[in-house]
Amino acid sequence: MTVFALLGALETGLLFGLVALGVHLSFRVLNFPDLTVDGSFPLGAAVAGIMIASGIDPWLATGAAIMAGMIAGMLTAWLTVRLGILHLLSGILVMIALFSINLRIMGRPNIALIGETTVFTPFQGMAPSHLYPLAFLVTTGVVMLLLGHFLTSRLGLAMRAAGNNPRMAGANGIDTGWMTILGLGVSNGLVGLAGALFAQSQGAADVAMGIGTIVIGLASVIIGETLAPGRGVIFTVVAVVVGSILYRLSIAVALNAEFLGLQAQDLNLITAVLVGVALVLPRLRRRLAPRRGRARTPVTRTVQ
Amino acid sequence: MIEIDRVEVRFNQGLPTERCALDGVSLKIPAGQFVTVIGSNGAGKSTLLNLLAGDVMADEGRVVIDGVDIGRRPAWARAREVARVFQDPLAGTCEGLSIEENLSLAAARGQGRGLGRALDGGLRRQFRDRLAGLGLGLENRLGDRMGLLSGGQRQVVTLVMATLRPMKILLLDEHTAALDPRTAAFVLELTDRIVAEAGLTVLMVTHSMRQALDHGGRTIMMHEGRIALDVAGERRARLGVPDLLAMFEEVRGETLADDALLLG
Repeated sequence: MTVFALLGALETGLLFGLVALGVHLSFRVLNFPDLTVDGSFPLGAAVAGIMIASGIDPWLATGAAIMAGMIAGMLTAWLTVRLGILHLLSGILVMIALFSINLRIMGRPNIALIGETTVFTPFQGMAPSHLYPLAFLVTTGVVMLLLGHFLTSRLGLAMRAAGNNPRMAGANGIDTGWMTILGLGVSNGLVGLAGALFAQSQGAADVAMGIGTIVIGLASVIIGETLAPGRGVIFTVVAVVVGSILYRLSIAVALNAEFLGLQAQDLNLITAVLVGVALVLPRLRRRLAPRRGRARTPVTRTVQ
Repeated sequence: MIEIDRVEVRFNQGLPTERCALDGVSLKIPAGQFVTVIGSNGAGKSTLLNLLAGDVMADEGRVVIDGVDIGRRPAWARAREVARVFQDPLAGTCEGLSIEENLSLAAARGQGRGLGRALDGGLRRQFRDRLAGLGLGLENRLGDRMGLLSGGQRQVVTLVMATLRPMKILLLDEHTAALDPRTAAFVLELTDRIVAEAGLTVLMVTHSMRQALDHGGRTIMMHEGRIALDVAGERRARLGVPDLLAMFEEVRGETLADDALLLG
């Protein structure tokens, strides 16, 4: 594998780490399988793309993309919490509606951003090209810090309780419906941010760029959890982003291995196989080490 | 003062299976009173507790706590006034969170929750002191996941959690029914101790007549959505389980006799 491919994988991995953090928040923290992300990712790209193409400040455009993603996520949560629609279905409804909305926002299926001033323009000039992933490292790092801080705050703890045991959360004065709406807002805000940054780094926003976002996010979350099972919140936040980078690296390795003969169109197949392996791995590990598992049980149940 | 004023609760309204779970129940619980509630299955004792908790809304009548009608508020919006311990020992805690995180959640029951730290040295010290008083060694396991504790230990922690903050009433929903006898006795003894120390107002639903008489200062027997018996003080002190059983039979018998009269 070339250095160029390695850096590319690192860069994309860090950027999609934002998606992975969003998916972690909805799927794991709130226990809400949210499929909105396939729509909110291109939504972020569309909003940022059209604004940048119209000459608006790229930072402002990126902020607007975050807001748009948040609104989409809150809408999904609202459909489930207030109208009682099944969570999977709410996400699919908003996702499908966003396809039309994204076309409306952009006015055409795609917008080219090459030559426009983006948030990455200042970095392109000053650093040597192999330092380019640093910009992504800083962005994702800041988001990780903020999310880690949030999840260990009183509000974040309330959100985790709402996902873990809604009845207990309610008995302690936590409005679980509002927690779901807020959490999905933050989750899709992160995905919208990822979409906006992806469009700016790739030089184009495309209405079809969201397909499979949820699978990529989920793959990263699962790979991360497989690496670091049952650890603390902060640890999990880091593991999820590492999972995203590992996912990209494995894809790059698979595509670059000449003897496998894989090509770019095999990407989704590779993803499916990777996620499948990551899902089965913990179970395999348990089967291979049953003694250790059994020996630990009595220690934890000494009293009563 | 907790006031339940002529409350009716009907389930499956308008359907052939319609059932009156509470049929014009009125009950006043002065502050500091410990009330035990008994009754057979479907008598309405759980509905009475859920009515105060906010899981069940009254179709008629009012639920008033210290002069404020809270009858329309959802459960989470009553948490400042109402604390509860569930029958299921696993229901009152989050198994995915650590013991200290669970305690921190409960320490903010009914309070606003901002972006401040959920845990700090002061809170941890406070939690350690509370848990140390239990003698279960839990004070050294603050960082452990709740899911690692046994059902009995989790119910003990739930009871501690429910009483971390002041409340107007503590609801105990057969909170020892799912525990082994030894643990149940421990939890009951702990309940009495905490209630006495803080002078709490309590409504405890139980299946056991022995428990109903041995704990608290007033006993209510529910039957078919009504309060069939309400004893306190001297009269209650002289009651034994056989007396209560006889009264229970009498209440059921009389209802049957009423039905017979109606049908005849």
